[in-house]
Amino acid sequence: MTETVSTIDDPLAEMEQDKARAYNQGLTPLHPPQKSLIRLNVGIMTGILFIAAVIVEFAIRNELPLAAGSIIGPVAAFALFLFVMLPGRIYRRWGYDMGDEQLRVLRGFMWRTDTIVPFNRIQHIDVAQGPFQRMFGLSTLIVHTAGTHNSIVTLPGLSTPDAESMRDTIKGHIRQDMI
Amino acid sequence: MNDAPITSAEAMVQETDDDTSFRRLHPLSIILKSVSAIGQNLIAMGVLYFSVFDQNIVYAGLAALALMTIIIGVTALIWSRFTYHIGPKEIRIKSGLISRNNRSIPFDRIQDVSLEQKLVSRILGLATVKLETGASAGEDGKLDALALADAQALRDALRDYKSGIAASGSDRTDGAIDSSETDARPPIFAMDNRRIFIAGLFNFSFVLLAILAAIAQNLDFLLPDEFFNPWYWAEQLSEQDVVNGLSFTAQIAGAVGALISLIAVGIGSGIIRTFIREYGFRLDRVDTGQPGFRRRRGLFTLTDMVMPIHRVQAAILRTSPIRQRFGWHHLKFQSLASDGSGESDHSAAPCAQIEEVDPILAETNIANVTPDLQFQRVDAALWWRDAVILTIVLSAVSIGNGLFVHPGLYALILLAIPIIAVMFLNWRYHQYALTATQLFVRAGWWRRKLTILPIRKIQTVDISQSPLDHPLDLATVTVGIAGGSAMSPLKINDIPREQAMALREQLI
Repeated sequence: MTETVSTIDDPLAEMEQDKARAYNQGLTPLHPPQKSLIRLNVGIMTGILFIAAVIVEFAIRNELPLAAGSIIGPVAAFALFLFVMLPGRIYRRWGYDMGDEQLRVLRGFMWRTDTIVPFNRIQHIDVAQGPFQRMFGLSTLIVHTAGTHNSIVTLPGLSTPDAESMRDTIKGHIRQDMI
Repeated sequence: MNDAPITSAEAMVQETDDDTSFRRLHPLSIILKSVSAIGQNLIAMGVLYFSVFDQNIVYAGLAALALMTIIIGVTALIWSRFTYHIGPKEIRIKSGLISRNNRSIPFDRIQDVSLEQKLVSRILGLATVKLETGASAGEDGKLDALALADAQALRDALRDYKSGIAASGSDRTDGAIDSSETDARPPIFAMDNRRIFIAGLFNFSFVLLAILAAIAQNLDFLLPDEFFNPWYWAEQLSEQDVVNGLSFTAQIAGAVGALISLIAVGIGSGIIRTFIREYGFRLDRVDTGQPGFRRRRGLFTLTDMVMPIHRVQAAILRTSPIRQRFGWHHLKFQSLASDGSGESDHSAAPCAQIEEVDPILAETNIANVTPDLQFQRVDAALWWRDAVILTIVLSAVSIGNGLFVHPGLYALILLAIPIIAVMFLNWRYHQYALTATQLFVRAGWWRRKLTILPIRKIQTVDISQSPLDHPLDLATVTVGIAGGSAMSPLKINDIPREQAMALREQLI
């Protein structure tokens, strides 16, 4: 978030101030280290893309008379573009809101989804942590509902103490035998 | 789910957890299962008879005998290792030959109980009990099979437990759902043979045709070699002076005749299928214990299902343009558990007029559409955006094919007209309405579906936007309900985003 705040005349930063149009609509952003985690994931993804491009280039080098780097070049540029542009955007689009009665989760950069789960509809809760998440001190909150659509709502990128306190808040609202 | 009732029930059962309190299934079920297993192996035996045993009847007979002994032996072994116990709060099922499985299903979690009697089990006086909790796709507890009386006793035990919660131990000791009691009252809905026939008329299917085709496929050694080669038939036909000699009108008449016979086969098989499934359809209200619906139907396979009313999540009314002209609707109830025959919703009235549907809905406290209810349309982008995309893709395809394959293929672009017409009609019929307690959503022009959802049954609400939605600022609202198909959740497509936000405020 620090980049956008420092450059205030950036149109993006202006948009962030306008709650209706803001990327995360004024909801609570994820724990900042999550941005590094997203960057790490995107980095791995673009790395695989780059390696694939290298393999393809060397494989067809003898078949087609292409200039060196005519595949690697564009792919590397695209990968770099993704690596620079994507993580910040993905991170900014995430948002959540713990209401008194409901949890709201906003996610997605191109395909946006905005989910509301009332606490008393939640069947059970998980707090999960992967190896990379542990490195950054992050946790994922997973709530399960009885609905067939959206039976699992995940909220990654919370700091572990936050995730645990949210779990304890929600736990008090779980009702028995709703369905 | 929450673990409180499970652990308490388990603690209670610990003291009775010896094998003496566990019961086995009815011994005749060994025969029942062996028969079906032998039936499956009959074809294998036939193949063996012709191949390995070189049509030697003695060896084949011995092999068949050995196979039968093995099947019956294994079935009996499985039977002897399958035991169940009905505790005060849960049912426990132990099963498995080598890896043992010990399952406990708390009564609280059972969605519905159904008794099923296939033709063989009806002759033997057995019934299969299926317990649904909605946890997995199939049934979670299947007792195949018990004596009919035992099966009914099990259902009553479940019902008594639930009435114990409802009436907190009032002296409700009698009141088994015996047929005399419910048959005395008129059913909420029943179908006579005439009605089943009407339902069958609309149940057009090509299943019979498919079966015929499958038979032809399997017996193709009886047919000439080139039977499935279309060129062979084209040659035969063009060489036949009979066809060429006929007038143009006679050829048309022949084609129309073929079409009519195809439709007749489709309708005929639809009627037969409907009769097999729906024969003697009867829906009763059961009031002993928890109020619920009891549905009985079936020609060969009798099913008898009881479903508590409070488990109903939503009502679904299906129809089609032709059916609607005559006023017929198919009422289904959505619940966490799925209906036995692979349908995701419980069929409550397969073919009923609106006047008949209303009383059934009234039992569940769901109100049908009232004449003064204002339905709202969704944004017209739902059809024109898809139409634009389709036109672009189709024109590219038709130009490509027209240029390089055959000029006649330019006509592919004409396909867009019917498809866009259907898109437009689908948009016209996609409507929604909201009252203080219920959400109504209509969808589909040909397969019309009206979903009536009580707002308190809503689990989650999603607002989603695809990249194409951003420039128009549209959004799709997806409502999560328990049960139903995961593939086609309840959606209100393409309404303005502010409207979607406002709608969500009202839904939760």
